[in-house]
Amino acid sequence: MNFFKRAWLNLTAKKGRSILLILVTSAIMLFVLAGLLIRNAADTATSNAKQSVGATVTLAANREAAFKKMRSSTSTSKTSRPKLTTSPVKLSDAKKIAKLNNIASYTATVSTSANATGFSAISTSGSSAGGMKGMGGSTTSSGDIAISGVTSTSATADFENNTSKITSGRGITTADEGSNNVVIESELAKEDSLKVGDSIKLKATTGTKTTYTLKVVGIYKASSSTSTQQGPGATDPSNSVYTSYTFANTVKGSKYKNTADSVTFNVSDPAKVSAVKKAGNALINTSKYSLTTDDSSYQTVKASMDNVKSFADKIVWLVAIAGTIILALIVILMIRERRYEIGVLLSLGEARWKIVAQFFVEMVMVLVVSIAIAGAGGKFVGNQLGKQLVSQQTTTATTGSTSTQQGPGGGGAPGGSTSGTKPSGNMQAGGALGSSSTSTQKQAELAINVTVMDLVELGGFGLAIMFLSIMLASGGILRLQPKKVLIE
Amino acid sequence: MLKANDIGYWYDRQENSLFEHVNLEFKSGHSYAIVGQSGSGKTTFLSLLAGLDKPRAGQIELNGEPINQLGLTAYRRSHVAIVFQAYNLFTYMSPLNNLLTAMAVTNSSHRGDKAFAMEMLRKLGITDEQMTKNVQRLSGGQQQRVAIARTMVCDAKLVVADEPTGNLDEENTKDVIDQFQKIAHEQHKCVIIVTHEPDVAATCDYAYRLAKHEFTLEA
Repeated sequence: MNFFKRAWLNLTAKKGRSILLILVTSAIMLFVLAGLLIRNAADTATSNAKQSVGATVTLAANREAAFKKMRSSTSTSKTSRPKLTTSPVKLSDAKKIAKLNNIASYTATVSTSANATGFSAISTSGSSAGGMKGMGGSTTSSGDIAISGVTSTSATADFENNTSKITSGRGITTADEGSNNVVIESELAKEDSLKVGDSIKLKATTGTKTTYTLKVVGIYKASSSTSTQQGPGATDPSNSVYTSYTFANTVKGSKYKNTADSVTFNVSDPAKVSAVKKAGNALINTSKYSLTTDDSSYQTVKASMDNVKSFADKIVWLVAIAGTIILALIVILMIRERRYEIGVLLSLGEARWKIVAQFFVEMVMVLVVSIAIAGAGGKFVGNQLGKQLVSQQTTTATTGSTSTQQGPGGGGAPGGSTSGTKPSGNMQAGGALGSSSTSTQKQAELAINVTVMDLVELGGFGLAIMFLSIMLASGGILRLQPKKVLIE
Repeated sequence: MLKANDIGYWYDRQENSLFEHVNLEFKSGHSYAIVGQSGSGKTTFLSLLAGLDKPRAGQIELNGEPINQLGLTAYRRSHVAIVFQAYNLFTYMSPLNNLLTAMAVTNSSHRGDKAFAMEMLRKLGITDEQMTKNVQRLSGGQQQRVAIARTMVCDAKLVVADEPTGNLDEENTKDVIDQFQKIAHEQHKCVIIVTHEPDVAATCDYAYRLAKHEFTLEA
C-alpha cells in the first residue's frame, strides 16, 4: 500500500499543482452538486405541490344540459325566443359531496348585484351606468355593485393568491352566515368616505327591490392587475363587495335560499381528483348539475418542475461528461510530466496497476477536498441557478395559462339570456388567473439544501469521473517502457 | 550468478545487430565494467541484464533460471538494483523517503526500517539534516550517493549502473566508485558498471570491451 504514501507525498510536495487540481475539481463538483440539488429540490417541490397546491372540484349548474333543453324548446316553440334556464346548486348536495374521502374543505359562491343607495358606486368613463348588463347577468336589470357571496373571503382565489388583501377590519368568515356584514374595496371606501363600522345600503334590482342595510366589517385592496382584467362592459372592480353567501341569496330572492351558484371542493390529493368526481356524480342529479375538475395548478407546478428537473439532469450529465474530459486531459498531461517517476517505479519493479492506483488515490484525495468546497458553495450556486430556472419556467407557465384562460367574460357566460345567475365573468377570470399565480408562488419556493445524501451522491459522481479520467489517461502508463524513459 | 547465453540484439534488422552470440558470466562478490565507444550498444546490453528489455536472441539466466520465466517486473523488483547517470530519484521526496519507498516497492527485508535507511545514508555521507530535505536540494554527487544507498537497502544481489559517474567531478567519482567496490566486496553483490571512463573501469575486477559487435575481456 506504498502507493497511498507516494500519493500523499506527491500532493503535499507539489502544492501549487495540487491547489490547481483542487480548484478545477471543485468547479466541476460545484456544478454537478448544483444540478443534483436542483433535481432533488424539483422532486421535493413536485411532491409538496401534491399536498399544498391541491386540486378542486366545482359543483355548478350543468350548462351543457341547459343549452340542450333550450335548443329542444326552440324547435317546438317558434313564437318566442326561449331562455337558458339553469338551476342553482343545493347546499344539501354540496354537504353530501363534502363528506367524501379526500375532500379537505369547500367554498360556496353566490354572485349577484344591487344598486348603491346613499353612496356612489365608482363609475368608469366609457362604461355604461348598468355596467354589468349583457355580461351574463339578468336581462331584466343589474345593479352597479357586484356582490360576491362567499363562505369565507380567505378561501377565494383572489385572497388566496394575494391579488386582494384586507387592509382594514376583517374578511368574511363562516361566522358571518345569516348576517348583513360586508367587505368593500378601498377605492370605493375612499370615494364615499367609508370606514369599518359604517353602514351602507344596497337596493335589490329584482323582486320586491328591497333595500338592505349592511355593516362594513372590512376593507380590502384589489391589486391594480385586477382592474386591467375587466372585460368589456364590466363594472369597475372597486364596486365589487364581499358578503356571506346567505346575504347574496337573500338579495337574489327567496327561491335561492340554501343554494349557491357554485360550490368549490378542495381535494387534498390531486391524484384523487377523478375518483372524487366519479363519487360526486353518483350523489347529484347530473342532468341539472355537473362536477368539473381543476387540477391545473398542480399540473402547472408539475410541468414546470418536470422542466426544471429535466434541465437539472442535463446539467448533471453535461458537467459530468465535460468534467471527465477535462480531468482526463489534466491527468494525461500530469502523467506526461511524470514519465521519469513512472520509469523509476517500473525499474524498481512496481506493478503498473499500483502506479495507476497511485494516480487514482491522488485524485480521490483532491476529490475529498473538492467535495467539501463544493458542499460549502453548492447551496449558493444551486440557489442562484434554481431561481433563474424557476423564474424562466414560471414566466413560460404563466404566459401559457394566461393566454388560454383569458377570454371575454372569462368563465362567465359571454352574453345570452340567463335567469339571474352569474352577473359578470370578471370574478371567474380573476379566479383562473389567480390559480396560475398561486402556482407561481409555489414554484418560487424551490428549497435547495445540501444534505449528507447529496454529498454521498456527489461523491459517487466524483469517483466515477475520477475513475473514468484515470482509465482514459492510464493507457499511457500501461504502454510506457522503462528503458525508453530512463535509458533512451 | 548471472549468465548471458548466446545473446543477440538489433533494432530493425538482424544484419544491423548491435551484438550477437554473446556469452558472458557475472559472479557475486565481483565488480565488472563494460566499456566501449558511444553507440556501441553497452547501455542496451545493460538494459537486457537489468530486465528493462528483452534480447532478440538467446536468454539471460539468473542462477540457472531464465529471467523471462521469473517475469521481468518480478526480476527487477527482487533481484536487480539500478543506478542511472541522471540519478532518477523521486524528486518530490526527501532522501530518506526515496529509500523507504524503494524498500517498500521491492519488498526489502528491511522494509519500513527507518533507522537502517538512515544508517545507509549516513554511511554515504548524507547528514541527518539533508536526509529530510527535498532530494533536489542536494548536489549531484550527493544525489548519486542517495541513488547508491537505494541499491544498498534493497535485497537485490545484482547492481547495475549506467554511467554512474557521468555527471560527477573527480572527487565525487572516486567516492562513488569506492562505494560500488564496497558493495561488491563487502556485501558480496554482483556489480556491473557501464562506463566510458578508463579510470572507472580500472577499479573494477573485470572489464569487458564492446567493440565491433563483440565483447572482449580486457587485461
